[in-house]
Amino acid sequence: MALSIADLPKEELFGQGNAGCGGCGAAVAGRQAMKALGSRTIMTIPASCMATMGGSNLKTTWQIPFYHTLFEIAPAVSSGIRAALEVQGIEDVNVVSWAGDAGTADIGFQALTGAAERNEHMLHVCYDNEMYMNTGGQTGSQTPMYAVTSNMSKGKTIKKKNMLAIMEAHGIDYVASASIAYPLDLIAKFKKAAEKPGFSYIHILAPCHRGWQIPQEKTIEFARLAVESGLFELYEVEDGLRTRNVEPSFIPVEDYLTPQGRFKNLTPEAIQSIQAGVNRHYGRGE
Amino acid sequence: MVKNLPVVPTAKAGSLVETPTGITWRVQYPVISEKCNMCLDCTLFCPDGALIQQEGKIELILSLCKGCGICANECKENAIQMVPEYSGVQGVFR
Ligand SMILES: Cc1ncc(C[n+]2csc(CCOP(=O)(O)OP(=O)(O)O)c2C)c(N)n1
Ligand code: SF4
Repeated sequence: MALSIADLPKEELFGQGNAGCGGCGAAVAGRQAMKALGSRTIMTIPASCMATMGGSNLKTTWQIPFYHTLFEIAPAVSSGIRAALEVQGIEDVNVVSWAGDAGTADIGFQALTGAAERNEHMLHVCYDNEMYMNTGGQTGSQTPMYAVTSNMSKGKTIKKKNMLAIMEAHGIDYVASASIAYPLDLIAKFKKAAEKPGFSYIHILAPCHRGWQIPQEKTIEFARLAVESGLFELYEVEDGLRTRNVEPSFIPVEDYLTPQGRFKNLTPEAIQSIQAGVNRHYGRGE
Repeated sequence: MVKNLPVVPTAKAGSLVETPTGITWRVQYPVISEKCNMCLDCTLFCPDGALIQQEGKIELILSLCKGCGICANECKENAIQMVPEYSGVQGVFR
């Protein structure tokens, strides 16, 4: 049966009073995900905006146990938490590590690939704002080509690394991409991941208006444009079976890219090559 | 037997609600009109959990709102209007 917003739990396990910027996409991702995960969840978060946003030692927005780990180790800490729960015979708890794109694809990658290889009973979430935002918006492997960042004023010159494909290659239980503009799709994916006996990976595109240089009220809008243009495909891989969850309407990629301040250096040729890449991926005529 | 989670919290759960960090930045706040058809989209798009469903209506918890305007931008019925205000250490001026 299809999910409806009215049936979701009313409890606010994350988000109220959070210390993030107004209009933060990562905070939206956290709120939507917790509607699926529920109160029997233990969360580890490495250094990132999401960790900062959760509060300090004195105050927190989390209503569940939340542990702020060192940058490189969130999935390893979560593996340990799962082992400790198992030893105590506690079975009804979701163990989650939740990291930014740097905590997932770059600095945190070693612990992530290890936990995935061991097929630990846990979920790793990457909320992808395509930059190192908590330290001022530096370039990382998830920054798209051409995007201007605080340490690459002319724009990135190499392509974004495909983390979803890398995680799929681990042969884990569940891999999915999700977007904060499609909350019911996102929530359904978290529910699926929570049911798996092994490792799941969910990659959420969560725009950061500061880094992307867009108006703060347009955070959700740009998350949607990324999907509708075909640049961020919403799909899942379950038992080796790949399913596309949302068919894009294929708005021109230009409509997604050029309004963003970080793509101010985009040339018409670059836009054309990005559009050609999308067309190739979906097998559409060029 | 289900045991309690073996975690010793250092901060009281959800305690940031009492002193929300962002409200002193707010320069506008949402006003919801009768055009609202209770689709509830805004309750999932608000980053701060400031819009909640209560007694068949969308209610704003003003103290949690940072005034980002996502709700007004996303509302398909155009039922949310952002109204300018100043809220800071000096109080709230509308
Ligand atoms: C080992 C280590 N290196 C660097 C840092 C500094 N640092 C803290 S957060 C951060 C960037 C986080 O980026 P990301 O994971 O993408 O999350 P975001 O802040 O963008 O949400 C960095 C470099 C650190 N805390 N620890
Ligand atoms: S810098 Fe970006 S990701 Fe970090 S809290 Fe602000 S809006 Fe969110």
